[in-house]
Amino acid sequence: MSKFKKGGKKSIPGVNTSALPDIIFMLLFFFMVATTMKEVELQVEIVKPSATQAEEIKDKDNVDFVYIGYPVNKNMGTEPRIQLDDQLISDHTVISEWKQIKAREGKTPFDIVTSLKVHEDVGMRIVSDVKEELREVDAININYSADKRVVNK
Amino acid sequence: MARRELQEINAGSMADIAFLLLIFFLVTTTMEVDAGIGRTLPLKRDLPPIDVKIRERDLLEIWANNNDELLVEGKMIEVEELEEIVIDFYTANIKGETNPDMPAYSKITIPKCQQEIAKLTAKVEENPDDLLLKNELDKWETKLKLCEELPTKQYDEIYKMSLIRLENQSKTSYGLYIQIQDVLKKVVNDLRAEKCEEIWGKNYYSLREDDPDDQEIIKKLRILVPERIVEAKIKI
Repeated sequence: MSKFKKGGKKSIPGVNTSALPDIIFMLLFFFMVATTMKEVELQVEIVKPSATQAEEIKDKDNVDFVYIGYPVNKNMGTEPRIQLDDQLISDHTVISEWKQIKAREGKTPFDIVTSLKVHEDVGMRIVSDVKEELREVDAININYSADKRVVNK
Repeated sequence: MARRELQEINAGSMADIAFLLLIFFLVTTTMEVDAGIGRTLPLKRDLPPIDVKIRERDLLEIWANNNDELLVEGKMIEVEELEEIVIDFYTANIKGETNPDMPAYSKITIPKCQQEIAKLTAKVEENPDDLLLKNELDKWETKLKLCEELPTKQYDEIYKMSLIRLENQSKTSYGLYIQIQDVLKKVVNDLRAEKCEEIWGKNYYSLREDDPDDQEIIKKLRILVPERIVEAKIKI
């Protein structure tokens, strides 16, 4: 007189998939949060310098980026080049024009930060030229892009 | 032997595990942020008059050459030594004249502020469009407020023409330039933080620029520890 059935069908229950949506949502959220939108396709190689006093740019909508680095495409030479939006430019004097095109309505040139993303090995000549050009159009609010470094005291 | 039928695995806590993982990743993921050192370039039009004589003692010259060597006041130094030199430039004479080779400090008192404000107001009335004058007037009004707020009713101010002059050459690397800028910013931030703690008992780094009270403090700190950097044109 056994309590237990003998010889019954031993079917393996299917894997419970009711948590699958949770996992998928989790992944979705993760990528949504961790992804930063790439504004432009970089055509120059930039290794940013680091600085202890680097501060986050708070107003992310009112920033223009100027990239200065070594061209990724070796046909473009090995000299540092300037990239604005999606183009490498050959003459830095177009920066003032570009800045005027990028002007936002209701904002003065001073309100818009120009972030300079420059490779740390680039010489100061080209950076200085860019700054002079920005001054031409009163875009004097600039930010030297650098990774935040923490020093132990 | 008796056999038990396989039971379904309880998956009720699966969602909890999923959320736990989600939260873990949320907390540990660092997003790339656009950080950097902010600077305001001088306006093109308000170039200072050419024949302003700046005394040797009021000038800190930092010169970086094509080989990334650093020359400060004619002496070759390492970047690590720069911070101390800049701090010394700012604070050597803060407690009375002790070093005649460093910028002098002078007392700013309430009567002095009122005097300057009266003078400037008259000037502004004459040329109402002069932004520089207005700016200057605004500065003195802040100084007056500062004096009134302090228990001693006065404060010491670094000589108004004291400058840090930065000169580069064409091939000075941007990396070194940022290191120099970083040091200059650090010294000013540290000094401001110290003052902020001393006078208002607040943490400088937690001041918010969108809060009017904090904004006022930041304005006063800028007067107390001014940041005057000029960059020379690159010659070679």
